[in-house]
Amino acid sequence: MRRLSYLIGMMLLCSLLLTGCWSSKEIEERSVYVGMAVDLANKTTAEKQLESQGGGTQVQPLITATIQIVPLKSVGRGQQQAESGSIKKYLNVSETGNSIFEIMRNYSLKRDRAVIGHHLKVFVISTELAEKIELHKLLDFLLRDNDIRPSSMVFLSRGKAMDTLESDEPDEIPAFRIRDMVRNKFRNNKIYKEVILTNLDGYFHAKQSFILQNIAAADTGEIEFTGAGIIKGSTNKWIGDLDQENLSAISWIQGDSSGGLLKTVNDRNSIITYEILSGESKIIPKVDGERLSFHVDIKTEGRLIETWDAEETASKAFFLKEAEQKFEQKLETMLQNLMKKMQTEYKVEVAGFGDRLRITHPKVWKKVKDDWDDIFSRATVSFDISLKITDYGSSTE
Amino acid sequence: MWSKVIEYFPDWKAWMQAIVMTLIALGSYRIHGRLYKWGYNQPKQDGQQQGNSHQQGDGQPQNIAQQKVDGQQQGENQQQNDGQQPSDPWQQPQSQPSPQLTGNYDADMALIKEQLGNNSDVHFRDFRISIRNSRAVLIFVEGMQNEALINRQVMQNLMDNSFVKFEGYAMHNQSQAFAAYLKDKLLPISKISEVTDLYELEQSILFGFTALLIDGLPHALLVGEPAPKVRAINEPTSEALLRGPRIGFTEVLGENTALLRQHGRGADLELKMIEVGSRIKRNLVIAYMKEIVNKELLQEVEDRIANMNMDFISESGYVEQLIEDNWLSPFQQVQNTERPDRVISALLEGRIGILLDGTPFALIVPVTFSMLLQSPEDYYERWLPGSLLRTLRFFVAFLALMIPALYISFISFHPGLIPTELAITIIETRQGVPFPSLIEVLILEVSIEILREAGIRLPKPIGPAMGIVGGLIIGDAAVQAGIVSPILVIAVAVTAISSFAIPIYSAGITLRILRFSGMLFAATLGMFGTILFFLFICSHLTKLKSFGVPYITPASPYRFNDWKDLVLRAPVTLMKRRPSMLKPQDKKRRS
Repeated sequence: MRRLSYLIGMMLLCSLLLTGCWSSKEIEERSVYVGMAVDLANKTTAEKQLESQGGGTQVQPLITATIQIVPLKSVGRGQQQAESGSIKKYLNVSETGNSIFEIMRNYSLKRDRAVIGHHLKVFVISTELAEKIELHKLLDFLLRDNDIRPSSMVFLSRGKAMDTLESDEPDEIPAFRIRDMVRNKFRNNKIYKEVILTNLDGYFHAKQSFILQNIAAADTGEIEFTGAGIIKGSTNKWIGDLDQENLSAISWIQGDSSGGLLKTVNDRNSIITYEILSGESKIIPKVDGERLSFHVDIKTEGRLIETWDAEETASKAFFLKEAEQKFEQKLETMLQNLMKKMQTEYKVEVAGFGDRLRITHPKVWKKVKDDWDDIFSRATVSFDISLKITDYGSSTE
Repeated sequence: MWSKVIEYFPDWKAWMQAIVMTLIALGSYRIHGRLYKWGYNQPKQDGQQQGNSHQQGDGQPQNIAQQKVDGQQQGENQQQNDGQQPSDPWQQPQSQPSPQLTGNYDADMALIKEQLGNNSDVHFRDFRISIRNSRAVLIFVEGMQNEALINRQVMQNLMDNSFVKFEGYAMHNQSQAFAAYLKDKLLPISKISEVTDLYELEQSILFGFTALLIDGLPHALLVGEPAPKVRAINEPTSEALLRGPRIGFTEVLGENTALLRQHGRGADLELKMIEVGSRIKRNLVIAYMKEIVNKELLQEVEDRIANMNMDFISESGYVEQLIEDNWLSPFQQVQNTERPDRVISALLEGRIGILLDGTPFALIVPVTFSMLLQSPEDYYERWLPGSLLRTLRFFVAFLALMIPALYISFISFHPGLIPTELAITIIETRQGVPFPSLIEVLILEVSIEILREAGIRLPKPIGPAMGIVGGLIIGDAAVQAGIVSPILVIAVAVTAISSFAIPIYSAGITLRILRFSGMLFAATLGMFGTILFFLFICSHLTKLKSFGVPYITPASPYRFNDWKDLVLRAPVTLMKRRPSMLKPQDKKRRS
């Protein structure tokens, strides 16, 4: 008995010796990529040089993936602190291939510190690429990988996607800039609500059309949110763009405009501007046999924030009534423009009508969901806007 | 169909893993059991050997005088004790009775000198008593007698016969009458007693009594009380409070019991004195509330104290270690405190206090985990601040235990769990650090522990200066030198501060020990290891008992009523009952 317990004791001690630091990897020995951009293959000069010496993937390349690595490796911390005011804080590295995962692993051939995806925040796809390759192919690795968080946001870019991950401002990390810009939605409803990887997973499986925020980039390293790109559900490819005003209309329909503005001109041809303080909407689907129709009830309250009309005083009830009408007309036009684009130009539904129908009429939805985009383009949509100017700011006669 | 079923059976690897896991669990259980028993048996075996060598059974309990004492009369009781206990079983075998004083001055002196004369601090002051002109000697130990009292009340009166009246004591040449005369007329001292037993006389002298031996008297007189070296009653340094009594125990048992009595009138408080230590004896008092305490618990405590077998109990820490349930546990199963109010309120909950002579630290048994994070102030403040502070302390205990382990597992295993911006900062600051996180944390934690240990021993004037040098400069310099990262300095500083926020010092030490093993767990298995470590502690705590009371009792076993006084402290008006975990006789606190 005593011998047995000694034996067990020895075994336990041995097991202590066996367990090294199994999967321990210090954080500073890896590099974090916070942004990723995919473009249609276009090899960088560095890549071409490396390829001539036998590097790179020797297949017909399709995709160039650029990752944004932070922070930069620095030698000697004292100097780094002194210079931190002027140098870039990030590094963009490109790699070309035809499998995202292969590209990711190829970074290990190029860089000493292995890249880890836990902190991926934004994923930008160029429309050029999204037009050619189905989105679910591009995103498959991101959705499967265990490291990458499903909360990473997805964007489209009009130009080269890798340009959106550049910035000339020192100390700024472009990926964070994009992520934080989305939060400005409370100030401007021309920003589309964040679309994360999990949302996309749902869209892909439901073969649903959707839109992604578009980013435009300038050579100076500035970027702007410019409307949205439409991804057609049946093909999973990019088919066209919505401009900023269309996007604003979508926010109105979805009752998602908690901030932003409406700008129009009044009868005397001077500019008047309305600041949105609240915007609610209700989509009411009506099913009448085969005919589908929607009624959208939009209620908004806000403030007359700017008027270039020196003739009128804002405190007059008549003036406010007139302004309200003008704003309502403006909003109506915006909505109609959007409906035209959705129903006739692109024949997609990306404003959430389908979702509403699914909730209120699940049985009908089951029948129509397979070619929802087509059916929606034949549906009639009516709007009822009630806009109320609650105040005219602190300035009046 | 069978092939389908067999398909679902795991292959031999899975079986092997299962068997190994079972063996490890069983093995560690067995080893723990063995180790536990080994430590528990050790003192008992010693006791038997000792008993055999002296041809004495270890009938310790019978030999221990048990008597009630009143705090204020402790000195007198001391004398009675000496009187009632003529011999110590192993020092004075009963076959050879202790020699008695004969009354023959020279013979007695020779005997005493033979026993005590080798001690340089025992003084013999010879003089002559004027009224009988007989020889007399004062025997005392240097520094322990009350010198002024002896000089004025004894020496002066005996040597000066100018105003002595003999009436009624005419037969003063008879020794008995003379003794009575001495006591009644000559020696104006409140405490005086006669001793005939030589052994007892020696002990009393060595304890600090002054003995007066007079030619012709068959007994010695103990005239002076020992004047022990006493410290003033101070605020307890290890358990300072903002609100609450600023009184702490001292080294004198009599004063400590008096402090307990002084808390208020009421005959409920019972103090039971037991003599402990086999070579050097000391008094120990078991304090409890007669009407509240659970009788079985009291019996258990008395038994364990009676079974202590130690030549000398120098501090209550010895008592704690000799009566605790599990010597392998890092958690204390006996609480020590310097605060009389803490003891009293524990007694009122049905717990038992143990006070030892010579130490300001009283013990409270049984202990439950929540007591380690409670401070008397929780009850003195109103219930909201009390609850807030107590919740904070639970949180702080968690921090003190886990921060380094969490740091290691985040840095080395789970970079994805750190918020991105912080992760980037950590990467930036750690780039120059040449060590893996475990070594990094160990460097800083060990130096903090060194600082703390050194801080206790630093001379008072330079202590704070060294603290600043150690804490600020070494920390900053270590970052500058690139040995540790600044984030870690924050983590370690928070850990160090957290462990000071725990109201019981020894509980803080427990957390310090566990913190290091937590770090090792984290370094090998990451977050999984950290959680494993936490579960280990939880399962150990669940199994631990203090005097039969489960250690984390309101939580497990679950007692809903006692939750009122666990993490939150319910309003006093709601706490109508005493904690039911102690099964007190009187359950109600307020009706």
